[in-house]
Order: sequence, then C-alpha cells, then structure tokens
Amino acid sequence: MSFDDFKLIYVLACLGLGLIILSPTLAMVVRLPGGEQFSEFWVLGSGRMAEDYPFNVVEDQAYKVFLGVANHMGSLQYYMVYVKFRNQTEPLPDSVNGTPSVLDPVFEYRMFLRDGEVWEKEVSFSFVGVSFEGNYCRVLSLVLDGYVLNVNKLILWDNENNGFYCELFFELWVYNAAVSGFQYHNRFVGFWLNMTIPV
Amino acid sequence: MLRKIALCFVLFILFSWFVHACSAVGQADANQMLAEAENALVSAYASVAEANSVGANVSQLLVKLEYAGALLAEAQNSYRVGDYERAFSLATNCSDAVNNVVYDALALKSETEEDQGQKLLFTAGVSSACLSVLFVLSLFGWRFLKKAYLKRVLEMKPEVEAEPK
Repeated sequence: MSFDDFKLIYVLACLGLGLIILSPTLAMVVRLPGGEQFSEFWVLGSGRMAEDYPFNVVEDQAYKVFLGVANHMGSLQYYMVYVKFRNQTEPLPDSVNGTPSVLDPVFEYRMFLRDGEVWEKEVSFSFVGVSFEGNYCRVLSLVLDGYVLNVNKLILWDNENNGFYCELFFELWVYNAAVSGFQYHNRFVGFWLNMTIPV
Repeated sequence: MLRKIALCFVLFILFSWFVHACSAVGQADANQMLAEAENALVSAYASVAEANSVGANVSQLLVKLEYAGALLAEAQNSYRVGDYERAFSLATNCSDAVNNVVYDALALKSETEEDQGQKLLFTAGVSSACLSVLFVLSLFGWRFLKKAYLKRVLEMKPEVEAEPK
C-alpha cells in the first residue's frame, strides 16, 4: 500500500467516525421523506370477513356489516364517511375523475386517526316501508344505527338478474386544510342488496 | 268555581304553548349551530395536528376530538332526519367539548418544541465535544501512524538480485 492510499484510508475512517458521532444530531434535524401516503377503506360481512355480505334482504330484518378506515397518510387526519343509497339507475362515484356520487348522503360518520391507526365500526341497518307493486319496489326508509332515514327509493325489477337491486355504499372524505373543507378521497365501498318479499 | 278552574286550565295551556314556542329550535338555528360546531372542531383539529406533527403526546386531546366528532356526526344525522332541537343540542355539546382544545394543543406544542430544542442543544453540544476530541485524537493518531508506517518502510531491506555470471 502506498503512502497516499494509507493517508486516504485514514481520512475516510476519521470522516466516517465523525458522521457516526454526528448522527444523533442529524437525526433530530433532517427529516427523511416518508413512504407512500394512502388511506385504506373497507367493508366486511357479518363475520368480519370479506364474505357473507347481506344480499337478499326483507323488511324489518336487521343486517350488519363492518366498516373500516386505516390512515397511512403520515399525519393526523380528519375523515368523514358518507353513507349513500342508490338504485341501479343512479350514479356511483367516478373513480377515474375522483368525483363523489351526486346523491345526497343519508348518514355520516366522523373520525380522527393518527398515522397507522385504524377505525372500525359495526354498521347495523334494516329497511322499513318496503312495498312491491308490479315491476317496481318502493323503499321508504332505511334504519341505520337507530336513525330512521327517509330514502324513498324506487327500485325497478331487473329482468336480467331477476331481482329488485339497490346498493348501500360508503364514500370516504378527508379534511383538506388547503381548501378549508372536506374533499372526496376517491375511495368508496358498497354492496348490492336484493329487496325480497318476506315469506 | 268551575269557571276559575277552566280559566286556569286555558292559561296553563297558553303558557305551555308560549314557553314551547320560545324554546323551540328552528332549522336556521340548528344550521347555524352546526356551522359553528364544525368551525370549532376544525380549529381544534388543526391545532392538534400541528402539535402531533412536532411529536407532542396528543392522546388526551384526540379523545376529546373523537368525542366531539361523534357528537357533530350525530348532530348532522339528527338534522337530516329533521330533529333540529337534538341537532342544535348536540352541536352545542360538540362546541363545548372542544372549547379548550386549541389552547391546550398550542401549549402542548410549545412545550414539546421547547423540550426538543433543549434536547437538540444538548445532543449538538455532546456531538461537538466528541468531534473536537476526535479531531485532536486523529491528529495525534496520524502522527503516530505516519511514524510507524515510515519506520516499517525504512526497515524493509531491498532485495538485490544476484548478478548474472
């Protein structure tokens, strides 16, 4: 080994040791960029699994699902979940453009989650005022967590799939301080229901 | 006697109706209270988020936020079903629940920043002292190693190849 090589190795070793000594201070000052920022949003069936979702529903019968939100945005977030109810002809949120459904929410939940925290809630619901006439079915009210919500929805008979289909879906909104309001977070979950006549 | 009783009864009914009319909450009142509660909650959230971002322990404040958020959601849901009185009452409770949160969050934030400043100062001081020691030791070390290196080189005997005959 030449003298210059020896000198270089010595200087590098000293610099490395200096960096190690400085690392606690650097860790307090330098903020490294975090990973990908996103939110999880899910709905699970009655067994808290991605199965056994309510499907064939009748009037005055209670059903339950589990709704969940997880925050991976890297900071404390203020979320809101809108509950919406639609028939087959009404629009869902637009995932491509990131716009929510134009339907009015019938119910809402709010939660504050720190980074890495999870919120899960059992949502129980039933329908009252369901009437069938010819090829349509009218649902007057949705009962959600004890609230009787007037939905007054007309559901037409689906010839292709043989049923009166409607959908209960949930939109995730997040508070954006830049616009001083809630913004649709481009996430929604839901499940189809088939209104049936009780036997 | 019967007339007096009837008169009292009518007066009682009128009084009850008047009291109810005075205390009844209209849609506009509920709407205004909901907006106020929303503003209060958003301000509280912004303060707690700031405190959380500097590493403050905001667990207790979050409990209050959670409670207030649930109240506001219930108030909005009550408003949707037309129960303006309940909506008003819940929105008022929501505003009350986050009454001191902004102040507490700001105090917590400044306290945490002060703690962190002191910690940073201490760490930087220790690091500087260690770096100074490292610098001095490295100079001495270099002198020692250089000497050892040169000694080793000088002690090396040059190999002389035998001259061809």
